[in-house]
Formats: sequence, C-alpha cells, structure tokens
Amino acid sequence: MTTTEPTTRRLHGSWGRIGAVAKRHAVILLRTPHRLFDVTLWPMVDVMLFGTLAVYASRISGAGEVVISYVLGGAVLWHIVYQSSIGLSTGFLEETWTRNLLNLMVTPISELEYVTGVALFGLVKIAFGLALASLGALAAYSFELGSVGWTLLPAAAVLLVIGWAIGFFVIGLVLRFGTGAEAMAWGVLFVVMPLSGTFTPVENLPGGLQPVARLLPTTHVFTAVRTGVDGGGIDWNEIGIAAALTAVALAGGLWWLTAMLKVFRRRGYVTRYS
Amino acid sequence: MEPALAARGLVKQYSRVRAVDGIDVDVAAGERVALLGPNGAGKTTTLLMLLGAITPDEGTVQVLGHRLPGARQAAMAEVGFAAGYLPLAERLRVGEFLDFYAKLYGVARPKQQAEEGLERFGIGYLRSALGSELSSGQKTLVSIVKATLHRPRLLVLDEPTASLDPDVADRVRSGLLTYAASEGAAILVTSHNMAEVEQLAQRVMFVRAGRVVADDTPAKVAALYGRENLEGVFLHLAREP
Repeated sequence: MTTTEPTTRRLHGSWGRIGAVAKRHAVILLRTPHRLFDVTLWPMVDVMLFGTLAVYASRISGAGEVVISYVLGGAVLWHIVYQSSIGLSTGFLEETWTRNLLNLMVTPISELEYVTGVALFGLVKIAFGLALASLGALAAYSFELGSVGWTLLPAAAVLLVIGWAIGFFVIGLVLRFGTGAEAMAWGVLFVVMPLSGTFTPVENLPGGLQPVARLLPTTHVFTAVRTGVDGGGIDWNEIGIAAALTAVALAGGLWWLTAMLKVFRRRGYVTRYS
Repeated sequence: MEPALAARGLVKQYSRVRAVDGIDVDVAAGERVALLGPNGAGKTTTLLMLLGAITPDEGTVQVLGHRLPGARQAAMAEVGFAAGYLPLAERLRVGEFLDFYAKLYGVARPKQQAEEGLERFGIGYLRSALGSELSSGQKTLVSIVKATLHRPRLLVLDEPTASLDPDVADRVRSGLLTYAASEGAAILVTSHNMAEVEQLAQRVMFVRAGRVVADDTPAKVAALYGRENLEGVFLHLAREP
C-alpha cells in the first residue's frame, strides 16, 4: 500500500463532481441502446405522426401551409420540454433502478451538483433530439424550424426551464412515493402537452380546460411561436407571461423537491433502494 | 485528536416500530469498532443516521468533528462506505466506476488512485470488466476499493463480507486491517460473522431492539455474558425473549 503520498485530495470543487455525473450518464446512455430511442426514435415518430395529421388537416380545410407550420413547429419544439424533463427525471431514476442512491448519498456531492450534472447531460440529449426532429420535419414536410423566426431563442430557453421544473416535480414524486411513481415521468408530459395548445390555439380546447391551459407557461410559449410563424416577430407579451409563469413553476418544483428530499431522509426511504 | 464518530441519543421511529431507541456511538480516531446484533436490531438504521442518509428523530451526530446534517459534505469527504448488499453500476467498467467516485471525492489523479486501490485488494485484473460481468464477491471487493479511494479517516462497512467465500473474505479483512493501520483510519463495521468481528474489531457494541446492551472488547463482552466467544453472546441475545 502506498503511504508516502502526502495527500490525495484536491478540491476539484463542484465542477469536477458535476462533470463526473454528466459523463457517467453519457457513458451509460451509450451502453444502453434502447434508451437512445428517447432521443432518436421518438422525435422522428412525433414528427411523422403530427406531420401526417397536419398535412391531412391542411388539405381538407384548405388552410394551407400555415397549419403544417403550426403543428410541426409545436411538435419539434415540444421535444425541448420532453427531453429536458425526461433527461432529468430518468437520470435520477437511473439511480433508483441501479440501487445507487445510497452510494451517492454518502459522498460529498450536493443535491444541486447532482441535478446540475444530470441537467448538463440532458442538454446534449436535447440538442440531439431537437436536431433529429428538425431534420425529419425538413426532410419529410419541408418545414424549416427557422421559419419561427427569432422567437425560437426565447421560446427554446423558456421551454428548457419548464422541462426542468417538471423534472423536479417528478423526482419529488419518486422520492416520496417510490419507483411506483416513475410512470409520472412520462405521464405528466402527456397531460401538459394537449393542455398547452402545442399544435393549435387553446381556444380549440373544451371551454372548461381553457382557463387551466392559460395558467401553463407552455401555452404562452406556443402562442408566441405561432405569432412567429405568422411573421409577427417576437411576441414579448406572451414570452414575458411564459417566463414569469416558468419562474413560478421552477420555484415550486424546487420547493417540492427539497420538501420531498427532507421527507425521504426523515422516513428512511433510502432503504427502499438498498 | 478528534474522535472519528460521536453520536448522542439517536432515536428513529418507523410508524409503530422504534428501530433505534437512544443509541450513543463513539469511535475514537483509528479505532476499529463492530456494531452487532440480530436482524432488525437497528444496526443499519443507526449506520445510515451516522452517514446522514437518514435523519434521526432525536439525537446528534458528529463525524470527524463535522456536525450533521449541516456539514454533511465536509464529513462525507472523509468517510468511506461500502455495503455487501449494494450493487455495482452494471454498465460501467470497474475503472470508470472508480474514476467516477474518485472525482466525486475530489481525488487528485483518480486513475492512479483507482489502480492502487485495485492492486491493494489484488483485483487489478478487473479494471476493464463491466459491472455486469463480476461475481458478487468481486463486486464487493470493488465497492471496498471505492470506499478507500480517497483515503478516508473513517470507514463505515455494512456487512462487507456477507456474500464472499472464505478466501476472498480473508483478503478483504487483511486489506482493511492493512489500510486502517497504514492510514490510521477508524473502522465501524457491522457483520453477522462473529469470527470475523473478533479478528477485525477492537471493541464491539451489541444492539438489541434499538438499544446498546453491551459495549466493550470482544473478550470482555463474552465474559460479561459467560460465553466463550462472541458467537455465544450473539446466540444468547438473539434467542433471549
């Protein structure tokens, strides 16, 4: 055994730990081909499914290309929310599936460092999924994401953060209720998507759901996206409302996650995974 | 020198079960202590409270002078943990797994430390193996290497040799004793193998129904209960109504 080395510790600081978490998840993803479906197959399936519907709706309504742009713009940009949220929640679920939570909890990594590492890794998945969806829409339906205009940038940023907020909420659920709640990782997104007017204005939703839809930041993002598609420039009013609601959702998600982590430690739920 | 562990009045209640009922744990720097008791006695809950993974209902925990939960990060930087029941990441190679934890602990030259750790326990040949390719004994050895990577001043081990054959278990014990002696590290270990405990521990704490019922050297605890060895004490405590 080597004992001559004065010290083996060096404070790499938070970034060393964050980078280690991101790298680990990337390696695991590459060694788990079926999980690549989330970033390869699903974006293409969504584009084909919604693109086909949009083409059909466009033809029978005579509304023209704008229908295709609305629907495909929504489908492609929805993947930012989807990948951002799924990346975070399945990153955490990976620790529960492999019963690795206790190993992590007894290291110096903080909750914030861990979440940042997983989110950082998620950015790569988002870039990959978004690129594939965009290319698929371009190749199959000649839809250019750039037709949304500069709205794309603030819309993408807000959608990214909304995905994280949903991810925090899902992780909190899993901490509190165990892996039985993992279906929520996908289930929450399936509820939010139709309520957000992702493909069409919320006025097309049943009347009772419209007030609920208007409380969702995603609704305001997709409204702004349609304004962009129509050539109306950046709708700062809708983007501003979306950003404010996103800030509330993010704060709520973080509060929920922190509260559930306390419950998790207090009730000794870590033994569920060991 | 500050103690490795100082916990006072730990209490943990799970609905109607009082898993831990006012336990004090003291481990001096460099001391090797075993926490013993039958299944359900409260050993693992106690260990997890000492590591900050479970919040005690009552009581305080200080690890190497760091008070939990506030100073958890600083405390865990100096603690190594391994448990025989925890799996290894199946899709990571052993070298990648150790590199990951070395970075979490902020180890300089993580690859070199991982290499030294593997050699210390005689498993250098496993560095390129995937977690899914290892036997349960090999997984345990790798997890102990992980626990010692950052040269912690306190090693907490929960049934570290539970799934090992006698040869590998002996290698683990030798490796741990060598590590503790060379680094001056303290060890807190749980085990159901009383012969192993007599070899590893300088002091034993017997826990029953969430309370410490004996706390002394193995020989003195055996004498206290009028038994020849710890095995006899264990059986007596486990079967006593």
